[in-house]
Amino acid sequence: MTVGEMLRRFFLVDLLKGMWVTFRHQNPADLVTEQYPLQRPEISDRFRGQPRLMKDESGKVLCTACGACALACPEKLIKVGSVRDPETKKKVLTEFDFDLGRCMFCGLCEEACPSDAITLSPEYELALYTREGMELQRPQLENGIERKVYEK
Amino acid sequence: MIEYILGYLHSDVTPGEAGNLFWVTVYVLLVFLGISIGVIFMNWFERKVMAHMQVRIGPMRVGPHGLLQPIADALKLIIKEDLMPSGADKIVFWFAPVCVVMTAFCGFIVVPFGRTHAITDMNIGVLFMLGVSSLGVLGVIMAGWASNSQYPLMGSLRSGAQMVSYEVAMCMSVVSAVMMTSLVTGTGTMSMIGIVQAQEQQHMWFAFSFFPVGLTALGVFAIAMVAETNRAPFDLPEAESELVAGFLTEYSGFRWSLFFLAEYAGMMAVSAIAATLWLGGWLRPFPHLLGGAAWDTAFSLVPGLGFILLGALCLFYTARMPRLRSMRGNLIGLAGFGAFLALLGAFMLLPGVRTRVQDIFWFTIKVGFFMYLYIWYRTTFPRYRFDQLMKIGWKFLLPISIGVVVLTAVIGVRQELLALVWR
Repeated sequence: MTVGEMLRRFFLVDLLKGMWVTFRHQNPADLVTEQYPLQRPEISDRFRGQPRLMKDESGKVLCTACGACALACPEKLIKVGSVRDPETKKKVLTEFDFDLGRCMFCGLCEEACPSDAITLSPEYELALYTREGMELQRPQLENGIERKVYEK
Repeated sequence: MIEYILGYLHSDVTPGEAGNLFWVTVYVLLVFLGISIGVIFMNWFERKVMAHMQVRIGPMRVGPHGLLQPIADALKLIIKEDLMPSGADKIVFWFAPVCVVMTAFCGFIVVPFGRTHAITDMNIGVLFMLGVSSLGVLGVIMAGWASNSQYPLMGSLRSGAQMVSYEVAMCMSVVSAVMMTSLVTGTGTMSMIGIVQAQEQQHMWFAFSFFPVGLTALGVFAIAMVAETNRAPFDLPEAESELVAGFLTEYSGFRWSLFFLAEYAGMMAVSAIAATLWLGGWLRPFPHLLGGAAWDTAFSLVPGLGFILLGALCLFYTARMPRLRSMRGNLIGLAGFGAFLALLGAFMLLPGVRTRVQDIFWFTIKVGFFMYLYIWYRTTFPRYRFDQLMKIGWKFLLPISIGVVVLTAVIGVRQELLALVWR
């Protein structure tokens, strides 16, 4: 043991250093806690949350009912229903079911989509008391889920 | 009767010395109330300070900034079911928390909050306090034994060993302070009030007498008192990761809260000894360097202004609070609390009040410093192993404290002899 080390141990330098660290962290600017319902975290745009069907400027749904997302989904939770328009000979989307309860938010549907219609939006408050509300239909996917806002 | 009550107000001694039973009772109740409020405040303060040191915010919801949290906790504890293990020794199990609380509060009989603000003055004040506070270990051992359970027994045995071994180093450093009282006047004293008066006469807090010696004694005491009160980093008797909750394992509800009360009261008692012996008790900073009537008046304004500042701070934070309907209760509460503090401060500025209050204020500040130190230790240091604890006590603190005693004696005698020669 060198003299310096002995002096350091005798005068408890390491302990005092530790005390200085804890003292310094009392600065309120260091706080990391968020008071969740009052303060909300800023979520990155790339966060994969609630699925949405996007529309173009005219309000028409971008989905071409090709079914690529349903094929890509590892959980097979997407159901795409369509009818063929007799005049234009194109598929028209009739229903789009998305079972959120089984979704693991992998984002493969998003990647598979050729027309950028389905996206996982950064909306993250998806918890429900029952499984019933988990099966999303077209209106919820297009307009977002309406949540009841509780006021004290 | 009324003359008997009012007659004391003109005297300049503690009610115990004056032999006035009425005022003794009043002081006992006041001290009990004050300590209980102190414990409630310490509970909140500890959680808040620890939270901030760990970059959290701590209690926030019950009352503004969690100010009412300890009261809510106390209510919860009282409502909780009070369990007693079937194999427990009923009488001892019942008596253990009572014993711990009694010993923790008994020490406050001699604590001088000011020249006249003590219940009584004993000529063996320090000895009494140390003796009574170390009786607390009896209650702890009773609790551990009566619980009829392994963890409490282990915890209480550890506690016994720890308190006994740290008592020695603690008392040695106290001896050095008691020796210092005899320096100028020639007559040493163990009375708590006498020790503070000796520091006044020597124009020096004992922490700074014989420069490194007094400070070392204080340092030894500051470490030993943490072990003595079973607090982190020496909280082996209730080491959570090893012994569940040590001697508290089988206690719940009101009995548990009594142990809690006793722990914090004990911390305050030991801090009060440290503040009295080394930091000049109720004396304001620099009573001689900044002496004179003008400075006296200036310093006597500090408590009142301090409380007004605290009140203003509360009002400032009220103004910064978000205007939410759910926060309205907190808003009104914090504003009311701020106004109450400011009014209290204004009351303390009255000439008659401020001369009486300032002693208590400075004493409380000094005790508060030690209480903060407790929290600071607890957040910073990890718990010691039991053999390390014993090693620190016997191989490190005890030799240092004995050395301090010897050094104090040698330097003191040399100083007295030199004074004789020069005269």
